[in-house]
Amino acid sequence: MHFKKKSYAFVRRSQVLEKRERNLGWFLVLPSIVIISALIIYPIIYNLLLSFFDVRMAGGNLFTGFRNYLDIIGDHEFWRSVWTSLIYVFFTTIGTTLVGLVVALLMNREFPFRGLVRSLILLPYVAPVIAVVYSWQFIFDPVNGIFMHISYDKLHLFSQRINLVRSPETSIFVAVLFGVWKNFPFSYLMILSGLQSIDKGLYEAAEIDGCSKWEKFRYITFPEIYFLMGSIILLRAIWNFNKFEEVYLLTQNVKVLPVYTYLKAFTGIMDIGHGAAIAVIQFVLLIGFILVYVKRVLKW
Amino acid sequence: MVEKNRLVDKIIFFLLVLLVVFFAVFPFVQMISTSLKYQWDWGNPSLIPRKINIEAYKELLNIGQEEKNVPESVITLLKENDQLSKAQKKAILDKFKSTGDIFPFFRYFANSMILSFSSAFISVAIAILGAYSFSRVRYRGRGLIQRGVLLVYMFGPILLLIPLYTISAKLGLISTSAGAFTTLMLIYMVLTLPVSLYMLGNYFRTIPFSIEESAMIEGCSRFGTIWRIVIPLSLSAIFTVFIYSFMIAWNEYLFASVFLKSFSDLNTLPLGLRQLFVSKNAIWDRIMAASMLSALPVIILFMTIQKQLAGGITAGGVKE
Repeated sequence: MHFKKKSYAFVRRSQVLEKRERNLGWFLVLPSIVIISALIIYPIIYNLLLSFFDVRMAGGNLFTGFRNYLDIIGDHEFWRSVWTSLIYVFFTTIGTTLVGLVVALLMNREFPFRGLVRSLILLPYVAPVIAVVYSWQFIFDPVNGIFMHISYDKLHLFSQRINLVRSPETSIFVAVLFGVWKNFPFSYLMILSGLQSIDKGLYEAAEIDGCSKWEKFRYITFPEIYFLMGSIILLRAIWNFNKFEEVYLLTQNVKVLPVYTYLKAFTGIMDIGHGAAIAVIQFVLLIGFILVYVKRVLKW
Repeated sequence: MVEKNRLVDKIIFFLLVLLVVFFAVFPFVQMISTSLKYQWDWGNPSLIPRKINIEAYKELLNIGQEEKNVPESVITLLKENDQLSKAQKKAILDKFKSTGDIFPFFRYFANSMILSFSSAFISVAIAILGAYSFSRVRYRGRGLIQRGVLLVYMFGPILLLIPLYTISAKLGLISTSAGAFTTLMLIYMVLTLPVSLYMLGNYFRTIPFSIEESAMIEGCSRFGTIWRIVIPLSLSAIFTVFIYSFMIAWNEYLFASVFLKSFSDLNTLPLGLRQLFVSKNAIWDRIMAASMLSALPVIILFMTIQKQLAGGITAGGVKE
């Protein structure tokens, strides 16, 4: 009897402790939740609402139903920018992943000055976009740039000096190259961390079996990092799809979806309602892509 | 034969490494090179300037610009005229002086500094508490919140920009300069908060809980253990996260361009640089020097925390 009473008190005490623990947990995380809800969750819901209105900065908004959406779906420029976005995301994602993989394989070996090399190749990722776009523009400058100097003067690849950044047909390639340059360090770091976690014993066993380098990569390295690569590609695709600065500041001619949205909402007649609707469509497209990708590639 | 193969292998390997370094660093080298060249030297493909020109840097940093724009005739007039008082002479000279209007580097620098420092500081302070809750306190709903924070990774800046701009415009926040600046600071803070939460949470998990336990047995409160044990033990991680948040805010262009559009006094470095580029003062050496000056603080900061930052990025907590 005495024993039972004691255990009851023990349970009571542990419940009190549990409650105190829970309160503490919520208390500590509350500031983060409040700020994220107020400045991210609420605005996104508000954006969904805005997309059904004709937004006026002075005075009330006018409810227009699906008008904004219908306008956009009927707009040729919108479809062109969807296409531009697809090309941009596809090539930048593949590019960053391939370059990242090669660089990770290189950096996984020991060599002199490896520390210095590793920190130098992270520079593109950390430098401000605005500070590096002009250097790229200079490289491709038709009059002074080194690119035209080599490809036109030396190799005669072009019939005249052309502005690759300005001309509508070629600017997307420059944008893709710039995107790969800016973001390959991210992919490289992630892949390298994956490579370093592979059991060295597997390679030793393969060597004993007389496997070639390619076979080691194909049958050990690649399967080990397949899912990591899959996740990196997904992350990069999401981020590249949302890229604004890296495209807009480099060239005005590559109108990917975020740039198209920005131009609609913040320049000219500032059509916030249409901008909001495009942002929603963009988000839905992204979710659709993620769902398909997760099912097909990551096989969740 | 095997020896020879090894040598070829080694040479190919080093060539590849060299190529990668070249690819990564070339635009920076080009930037420095052009910023130091005279106009007649731009078309020269060599990266080494024929003659070093530091005029662009002097101009941007406002060094030795006082007498440059004063016409010769005015100077002789002032020298020969004794009737004017010293104050009057100075007033006349001031009219001609260049006040660094092309690119007021120090003002932009100060604005960027205040914005980035305060947003990163608040973000890290809030994230320490939140991350401690994620990694140490057990309660229901914890996993849900953690995953919710990750979801923020999917929202692009444009999706947030439109509603945030509309809301702050309707609340009248962006009609005053102080309001616009504070709003922008809050936005930078929330953009970096998920990163800080995630990176710090991952780090706190690596601190053995037994240290905290023994402190609590000695009678330390939960807050006491955060203050006296968790924070001192993770100072380097906290510093890394702070620098990371600082860099995100320092590099940001889009939100600043919309929120500070009508307050040119409050412009940040990226905005100033953009304006310089589209203005009539845009010449290559000046732009490259300004680019260099904007990138330099970030590059220096990066070099100081380079090792930890690389670890932080792979710890899975990095958003762009």
